[in-house]
Amino acid sequence: MSDAGRGRGARLGRAGGARGDRRALPDGGVAEASPAETAADPVLSVEGVDSGYGDVQVLDDLSLTLEQEEIACLVGPNGAGKSTVLKTVFGLLTPWEGHVRYRGDDIGGMAPEDIVRIGIGYVPQTDNVFASLTIEENLRMGGVARDDDLEPVIEQLYDRFPILEEKRAAKARTLSGGQRQVLAFARALVMEPDVLLIDEPSAGLAPNTADEVFADVQAVNDLGTAILMVEQNARKGLAISDTGYVLDQGSVAYADDADGLLDNPEVSRLYLGG
Amino acid sequence: MSVLEYLANGLVFSSIIVLASIGLSLVYSIADFANFAHGDTMTVGAYSALVTFGFVGGLGARFLGLPLGFFVALAVGVAVAALVAVITQRFLYDAMDVDSIGMLITSIGVAFVYRALIQFQFGSDFVEFGIQVLRPIEFLIPFGVRMTLHDVAIIVSAAILVAGLHTLLQYTDLGRKMRATADNPSLARVSGIRVDRITLWTWVIGAGLAGAGGVFLGLYNQISPRMGFNILLVVFAAVILGGIGSVYGAMLGGFLIGMINQLTPILTDVGIPIGIEYANAIAFVIMVAVLLVRPNGIAGGQGAGT
Repeated sequence: MSDAGRGRGARLGRAGGARGDRRALPDGGVAEASPAETAADPVLSVEGVDSGYGDVQVLDDLSLTLEQEEIACLVGPNGAGKSTVLKTVFGLLTPWEGHVRYRGDDIGGMAPEDIVRIGIGYVPQTDNVFASLTIEENLRMGGVARDDDLEPVIEQLYDRFPILEEKRAAKARTLSGGQRQVLAFARALVMEPDVLLIDEPSAGLAPNTADEVFADVQAVNDLGTAILMVEQNARKGLAISDTGYVLDQGSVAYADDADGLLDNPEVSRLYLGG
Repeated sequence: MSVLEYLANGLVFSSIIVLASIGLSLVYSIADFANFAHGDTMTVGAYSALVTFGFVGGLGARFLGLPLGFFVALAVGVAVAALVAVITQRFLYDAMDVDSIGMLITSIGVAFVYRALIQFQFGSDFVEFGIQVLRPIEFLIPFGVRMTLHDVAIIVSAAILVAGLHTLLQYTDLGRKMRATADNPSLARVSGIRVDRITLWTWVIGAGLAGAGGVFLGLYNQISPRMGFNILLVVFAAVILGGIGSVYGAMLGGFLIGMINQLTPILTDVGIPIGIEYANAIAFVIMVAVLLVRPNGIAGGQGAGT
């Protein structure tokens, strides 16, 4: 059992807040690094985290890392704690034990509305658009934490996802499942995050639509955003990922390159349905 | 009385109900509980205006048959109602760790406290602003409508407030955030909206409109410690009819319930022996009938912004 995350990036409290104002979208280049940073630093690390809901513990000493510009995919059976990882990273849950670090800074217990301002975005699995608001209003809501003019970034997103521009004045509830997922990404991308947490992007979508959504995930990643993704459809999720983590009962059971996991007969048999 | 006159009365009464309904629905949409202190918030607004009017009543020229001092009193009534609601929210509702039923019951207690304090200070008698009662507008009398400029003032003021709220909700940043928060509070947080602040503004606006409704109710009828509570059930009927949580539903529901309420005398006129004392009952029967067909109300299940 490999426990890849443990120990990596375990330095406590980097001197000098590395949290800069990194707003510029890294256009195909290296994500702008803060001065104290080296290329080897993970952009996000979860170190020995216990977490859960109320009294019910879900995560048990879970560790993982997300490198800059990579896609990491969390797979595993229902109830393994995949979504709980994202919620704990994004401050919707507070870690009971351990640390969540973003560029070295401990962000465990920070509120979501603050976390979104330091460069992490989150796309929930369900109810991930404002159904009664128009497409354009949804995107504006995605940018409430920005001080600058939203128009350029929204125009950029319209260029990338033409369907949104076409329907900009329509209520989000009128979108199809796939379009809705695109809007959910776009809402999070208005902040131009360094890290995007995506919970089950293909849930409830027809296979063709799911493939399109995975292509969008890759496109977002190509622009330099690191992605931590939970995916029920493990094979497809891993196929577009750099790294993979198999979660079981709140801990990392296997961690490897995505290809490594796909080729691992044991993982295949136990978790990927043969 | 002519049908036109009933309609005119309905319009005046509807204006008051609409103001109260919007506030109740707004607070429901974001704070997620039925605020039983809403009626007494109206009373707070009415008494605050009354006290202010005592100081500034003689002020200035007249507009729509009302001294300018009345509008100053109106502004104070709105402000005090909002302030009292915000203080209650900040120090009581916010601190309570209970579900929406617990909040509802808490708000009943708050209603009693507001009312008791008012009664303690002002007694339980009916009082009035003491503004000179006007004659009906001359040129409407041939149409069988006896309506004073004060009635027109109520309708115009309510229309301005409703238009202002619509502008706020649709075209301002705060309004969009309010709609987003009512639509999906967890996604609002995830998007970086400071939901606490939006909640506060929602209370300010909702209670402020209730305060205005209370002042107009005092102008239309009389002022007493029970005035707000007595009208609360009608307001609830309006909000539920429109679809609770929907601001535009509340406007529509308030309009319909107010109209139905004032059109009741027509039944007697056409020979159906149901007196005006059953006006509220009829409004409720119609509400129940609509809910049988549309369980979420007319605009139900569509979110605050629709």
